[in-house]
Amino acid sequence: MSAIHLQNLVKKFGDFTALKTMDLEIADGEFMALLGPSGCGKSTTMNMIAGMEEPTSGKILFGERDMAGVPMGRRGVGFVFQNYAIFTHMTVRQNLAYGPRMRGAARAEIDRRVGAIAEMLQLSPLLDRKADRLSVNILQRVAIGRSAIMEPAIFLLDEPLSNVDAAFRAVMRTELKQLQRQFKQTMVYVTHDQLEAMTMADRIAVMDHGVLQQVGTPLEVYNNPANVFVARFIGAPGMNLLKGRPAESDRGLVIDLGPLGVTPPLPDELATALRAVRGDVLYGFRPEQVTLAERGLSMPVSFVERIGARTIVHLGEGESAVKAVFENDVGLSVGQTAVVAPPASSVRVFDAATGFAVRAG
Amino acid sequence: MSAVTATVSEDKMGARTKPAAPDEGARLGFRLTLPAQILVLFISAFPLLMQLYISVTDWSPLSGVGWWNAWEMWNSFANYTDLAADTRFWSALQRTAIVMLVCVPAEFLLGLALATLFADDFPGKRIFYSILLMPMMVVPAVAGYMFFMLFQSGGPVNDILSRIVGTPITIAWLSDPNLSLIAVMVADIWQWTPLMFLILLAGLVGVPEDQMKAATLLGANAWQRFVTIVLPKMKTIIIIALAIRVIENFKIFDTLYIMTGGGPGVATETISVYIYKVTTQDLIWGYVAAIALAILIVLSVVAVYAMKHMAKAREVPA
Repeated sequence: MSAIHLQNLVKKFGDFTALKTMDLEIADGEFMALLGPSGCGKSTTMNMIAGMEEPTSGKILFGERDMAGVPMGRRGVGFVFQNYAIFTHMTVRQNLAYGPRMRGAARAEIDRRVGAIAEMLQLSPLLDRKADRLSVNILQRVAIGRSAIMEPAIFLLDEPLSNVDAAFRAVMRTELKQLQRQFKQTMVYVTHDQLEAMTMADRIAVMDHGVLQQVGTPLEVYNNPANVFVARFIGAPGMNLLKGRPAESDRGLVIDLGPLGVTPPLPDELATALRAVRGDVLYGFRPEQVTLAERGLSMPVSFVERIGARTIVHLGEGESAVKAVFENDVGLSVGQTAVVAPPASSVRVFDAATGFAVRAG
Repeated sequence: MSAVTATVSEDKMGARTKPAAPDEGARLGFRLTLPAQILVLFISAFPLLMQLYISVTDWSPLSGVGWWNAWEMWNSFANYTDLAADTRFWSALQRTAIVMLVCVPAEFLLGLALATLFADDFPGKRIFYSILLMPMMVVPAVAGYMFFMLFQSGGPVNDILSRIVGTPITIAWLSDPNLSLIAVMVADIWQWTPLMFLILLAGLVGVPEDQMKAATLLGANAWQRFVTIVLPKMKTIIIIALAIRVIENFKIFDTLYIMTGGGPGVATETISVYIYKVTTQDLIWGYVAAIALAILIVLSVVAVYAMKHMAKAREVPA
């Protein structure tokens, strides 16, 4: 068991900066997801934790221990690769036994540990199968078992579900989460799929362009995005953001959205915080929280996507495009005008100049 | 379980939906290439059958009859019984085996060491790479002359040895029956290690990097990774490389013949040199055919073994 502390971590490849100062605390036994689009530095971060790459500057601590110069074989880290990196020329048993065997454990000891881990992962009937002809979910379990047998304090998983088709991914997500509960290790999980991060992680670290954007529980990240990037990246579809300018009205502080009119008045606390901001702001709200109303933003329907349980309605165009998600079906069709209103409590406002959220209180 | 059933049903589907057309296409293709196939078959089978035919006769080009009339000199397998009792043949075979048992492992180990070195980057790698491949491109006869010069008693090899030892050394490498075979083997190793290196490097580069990393993370050191991951993954390519060199080395001739001519005496007379001498000096072609056929059988066994492994490798993609 071990906590991970990343302090001022920087990684450069020649002129290219993959990671610009990263600070992150991962608690003992926590399931942390590193989430971001490709090229955001999440895999680089992971590789540095594993010791496959040395940081250009900054520190990595496991608990109290500084990991600088500790080779990857001695870090006590379990690593599950994107394609599992199973030794295809060996049997499942040989794969599981690999770690203890390399460290010179006694034969009886190896047999006992392989037996125990196979039992736990339901691999016992497959132990003598050649590893080159296994299905993905078994490969995943072998990959996890092969690392878990070493009882690592830290488990790193590098997009383990990205090679799996969508239907299977749901099954494997549940399986992975259950495995983590069994092993109770600190887990760091790299993914670009927010659904994986949201469903499995205790906390999510959202990254973009080598910069840590926000760290928080899935719901925090979803409800209170720290900046415009997180607001757009999290959620499917992402948060609606409309450009506007704060304006005082007799009902309180509103935002003048130009041709779209004026928003309903903002809650008092948010209004107080917003009065300190000069210049343009972005008025944000979740597509799922939109309701049809008598008064609100009046916009033409440009497209309707019906996907069974939900219907996504595209409103407006260009800069002022908005998406609204409704349960089941909704009586709207292209060409009609819809009047939508986000509930005042779900409105988030961002400073258009800096991109940061304007937080109440 | 679900995965297992999934693959089975996929296989069934694949079989059912397979169209009949490719089968027909294959048959048409066979008919169209038939003339070429017959030609190729003829080219490869004819010399073999001719050789088999001559090997049971006393025919020679000086016998005054065409080879097709060799039956007039039928000697009822006397060539084969002679061969079994021919001590010069057996010692040539033994010498060939010694050369092979020294050269092929030496080339393999050197090639593997070099390939391991070249799998990682180091400054000047591309230049060294080109230099390393050069011996392979030298015409074997030219290589023979090079080593013929190097191993003269007043030649560079003795010069260098003299510098190292400090006293003048004049070893007669090529005219000493005990040393000439060594000189010949050095030349072969020099010329053919690059081929081994090239093949093994291709195999080494093909070892999946993530599996190597996984092994490292599981605590395997460099040697353990080499033994448990690299060698098993390279098994097929190692067998192919060894088979190529065993077959080629068995036929060692040009370099050797120019360096020593098989001598002094018969000290470096390998099987190819022996055949050459019997062919050009003794002119008993029926006997030559018998020797050649015996060797062909030996080499075929090696080739079949190698091909079996290649087929197995194609079956299971790495």
